[in-house]
Formats: sequence, C-alpha cells, structure tokens
Amino acid sequence: IGLPTNSAQECQNLEVERQRRLERIKQKQSQLQELILQQIAFKNLVQRNRQTEQQAGRPPPSNSIIHLPFIIVNTSKKTVIDCSISNDKFEYLFNFDSMFEIHDDIEVLKRMGMACGLEVGKCSPEDLKVARSLVPKALEPYVIEMAKGPISNVYITGGSSAN
Amino acid sequence: NIQWLGNRIDAAQVSRHKELQSEVCDLTEAEEKLDELISKCNLQLRLLTEDPQNKKLGYVRCQDLRQSFDSPDQLVMVIRAPPETQMQVSEPSEGYQVSLKSTRGPIDVFLCPEDSSGVC
Repeated sequence: IGLPTNSAQECQNLEVERQRRLERIKQKQSQLQELILQQIAFKNLVQRNRQTEQQAGRPPPSNSIIHLPFIIVNTSKKTVIDCSISNDKFEYLFNFDSMFEIHDDIEVLKRMGMACGLEVGKCSPEDLKVARSLVPKALEPYVIEMAKGPISNVYITGGSSAN
Repeated sequence: NIQWLGNRIDAAQVSRHKELQSEVCDLTEAEEKLDELISKCNLQLRLLTEDPQNKKLGYVRCQDLRQSFDSPDQLVMVIRAPPETQMQVSEPSEGYQVSLKSTRGPIDVFLCPEDSSGVC
C-alpha cells in the first residue's frame, strides 16, 4: 500500500504524459490531413485528365505535359542561374544569384484547385461533396472537419461512425 | 482499523488522478486510431499512384504550371528525378545553391516557360 502522497507525483506524471500525447496527436492529425489532401488531389487530377482526353479523343502531346512526381524550382526571370551537370545526368549543381522557391507537385495540385480548397478550409458545398466522394468512408469525418477551416485544436472523431 | 489522515484532503486529488487516467486512456486510443488511419492512407496513396492507368493520367500540363506560378516574371524550372534522389539546399547565408544527386538514373531538368522547353 502506497502512501497517499504518491498520488500527487503520479498526477504530475499523468499530466506530462497527457501533454505529450496531445502533441503527438496534433502532429499525426496534420500528417493524416496531408495524406488525405494528396489522395483527393491526385484522384481529381486523374479524373480531370481522363475527361479532357476523352473529349479531345487523344492524349495531349507528350512535350506539353509533365508526369508526377516532380519538383518545381521557381525564381525571378532576372535571376542568373549557373548550372553544372555531370555527364551521366546523375548529378546537378545550381547556383542562383537571388532567392528561389522549391515546391513539390502536391503544392502545384493544390494551387490548381485539385484539393477542393480543403488545404485552406475554403470549400464550397459542391467541393465538399466531391472531396467526400473521393475518400473511403473512414476518412470522411476528417474531410468534413478540414472543410470547416484550418484546425488548430485536437479533435477526436466519434468512435462509431455516423452515417 | 487504520485510516490515513491525509485521505480526506486527497479526495480531490484522487478524483483528479482518475480523471487524468481516463483522459490518457482516451488519448492513447485516439492515437492508435490515427496510426491505423495514417498507415491505411499511405497504402492507399501508394496503390493509387502506382496503378499503371493512373500513372499514365497523373500529369499536369505546362499551362497548369504557368497558371499556378503566375509566370510573367517568374522562371519555372521542373525537376524530375528517380526515387531516392537527394536534394541539398545551402543555407541562404552561404549563397543560393541546390545540389541534386541520384543513384538510380538520370535526372531531368527543364524550363516550363512559354517559349522553349530546352534543357537547362
């Protein structure tokens, strides 16, 4: 039998544990959100391209498209870029004389509206409908939550899934 | 019959303790659920992007890129590299430098702008 005073210490330990878990959950929630965004954006892109190809009756010329995955580096047109390439094209070295930005393809898809505005929590009812249709049922509560706006707090979805 | 003198004072603490315990328990459950969803999501995404049909349709048009980075004064460079390629960016204080190193195949770099699509 422990002395009751132990419980003060134990409370403190639990408090720390609780805080730690909350932090981890927050981080995992944003990880999950990003994965959901990627899933929605990719599916949307594929759908759009399929439709355009069907309408046009043929795929676009290969020199006008860029397949995923890719990375974008953008900078001002005034920037001088010095570039060295190894003969086998396995290694590159770029020197910029001014600032540049690096973006991944998902960022491009978001800017194209492929994530239904979910990335900034700006989602019309139609957008939300499309987004919900693109994810498995288990993820719908998260999509609905994301549509409401950027999430700052930890939320826990109900154990039993409604609808 | 022995009773701890502190018992009554601790009553609040005991209930706080219980409360915390159940909260931590809930959080553990929530975290486990998240872990499960994350790994499912990762798998789904992999299957999705590796599907041959989707691979063929997983592209953006040059005009999408131009619109995304409203280009008039922007130079847009596209890098397509094999998996596991390493990208290193220098500290801004040490100049603006990017290095790419691939082990699995050549890297493609090209400019997307309106005029040419020549290799860098």
